[in-house]
Amino acid sequence: MTNATALHISNLVCRFGSTPVVDDVSLAIAPGEHVAIVGSNGSGKTTLLRAILGLHPIYAGQIVVDHVHAQSAADWRQRQQRIAWMPQRQASGQFPLLVHELLASSRNPTVAHDIASQLEVGMLADRPLHALSGGQLQRVFLARALGSIAGGAGLLLADEPTAALDFGGQAAVATVIAAQQVTVLVVTHDRTMASHCGRVIEMANGRAREVTP
Amino acid sequence: MNLDTLVGLLQLIPVQRAIIALAIAGGAFPIVGVWIIGLNIVPVRFAMMHVALLGIALGMLIQLEPTLVGLLLCGVTGVLLAPLAKRPAGLSGPMGLVMTMAIAAALLVLSLSGVNANGAFELLWGSILATRTIDVVILGIVATIIIVVYVVKKRDLALLLYDREVALCSGIAVEQLTMLLMFVIAVAIGAAVHLTGALLVDSVTILPAIAARNLGRSLQHMVWWAVGIGIVGNLLGFGLTLVLNQPPGPLLVITVGLITLATFLRKRA
Ligand SMILES: Nc1ncnc2c1ncn2[C@@H]1O[C@H](COP(=O)(O)OP(=O)(O)O)[C@@H](O)[C@H]1O
Ligand SMILES: [Mg+2]
Repeated sequence: MTNATALHISNLVCRFGSTPVVDDVSLAIAPGEHVAIVGSNGSGKTTLLRAILGLHPIYAGQIVVDHVHAQSAADWRQRQQRIAWMPQRQASGQFPLLVHELLASSRNPTVAHDIASQLEVGMLADRPLHALSGGQLQRVFLARALGSIAGGAGLLLADEPTAALDFGGQAAVATVIAAQQVTVLVVTHDRTMASHCGRVIEMANGRAREVTP
Repeated sequence: MNLDTLVGLLQLIPVQRAIIALAIAGGAFPIVGVWIIGLNIVPVRFAMMHVALLGIALGMLIQLEPTLVGLLLCGVTGVLLAPLAKRPAGLSGPMGLVMTMAIAAALLVLSLSGVNANGAFELLWGSILATRTIDVVILGIVATIIIVVYVVKKRDLALLLYDREVALCSGIAVEQLTMLLMFVIAVAIGAAVHLTGALLVDSVTILPAIAARNLGRSLQHMVWWAVGIGIVGNLLGFGLTLVLNQPPGPLLVITVGLITLATFLRKRA
């Protein structure tokens, strides 16, 4: 599929205060590749994904998406539009948002709604997000992300997308993500999910190394 | 009090103006309260009260209409604060700083200009019974702006108030929208302080919004609840003021406050 995104990360450093939590990471991902990122808690996986989205400041190095090194606010906005994101942590506050309102923010809301139904969360459309279980919430965010892919996003960044799911749900979501024809970067502790990916990167103390079996 | 006295009071022009002003404020300003809760910037009202005071002092110094300078300065400060929203710690801390700096600067300006500080405070702390026609007009304009921004931006607002980052990654121009909100919030608070007095700011903004937070399950539900409670609570409180022959500020806040308290009970149930 021509829409898939290329991702080039070179010598990336991201810090919290003066502590580097992503430390000199370089990574080249070809369009359409599926890459799993594994590693212990606190090794910098979430920060890496957030830096790609422009949600965490880059201290050194660069991230090039589709040959664009984002600099202006407009560049970043355009990049965010090219990416479908499943965040690890949902909702900072307690402000209510309905499931259908979240799905409507997908780049293709119709597809997002269809997928929500397939993932058995379609009937929850009128519920506020904070009244869902962790697993239901992850399904809703997955439906939204897949709608965005249908709407033109070329890169899926999924941060522990199956962490709150039951076994059946984990297998189902792994299959759905594996079927995507875009570039996929998925943080996971789930072996099934990792085994569906062509490459595996392990992070430890902010550093990344390829451990593809 | 008998009915005749009440009817007599209702025929007084200041009383009628107060009722109109409260209905307008109660009908629109609670929307701003909902934004304030969603952005988690409850201290904004203290900060903006003091910025308004600084603006009034500056206006007196340079001999421009102090109220307008106050509103303008509120709006500018709101816009300047907006970019700080992207820090993880959000806007709460800077609000406290702005408040302290503004009051210090205001006192300095007042002292430099040699104007009587009481004069500035009188302009700042309005009273609902002293509402002039021009005040009602300003209130109407601010209320219209609030409602238009809400209606036009409803969908983006719902996402932004839920989670700033999810909104960013949905292609919403989050920084511009935050600036717009901060501008309207700041001007609305400046206007509310001037028109209704410091105490009443809460009864038309934060209190109905807190109640709505307990009752509403979406932004839209919250806004309907907040506006309903804003109008009913404030008019009811004003009615009590007339019947009991007491100053309006405390009774209005207590009435809306009790309604808000009741919503916590319902939430628990
Ligand atoms: N808000 C924060 N302030 C300071 N340090 C943080 C913050 N969030 C995360 N960290 C630290 O950054 C490191 C990387 O975090 P993260 O990228 O979330 O790890 P992972 O996703 O691999 O579990 C951790 O050591 C964590 O303690
Ligand atoms: Mg993480």
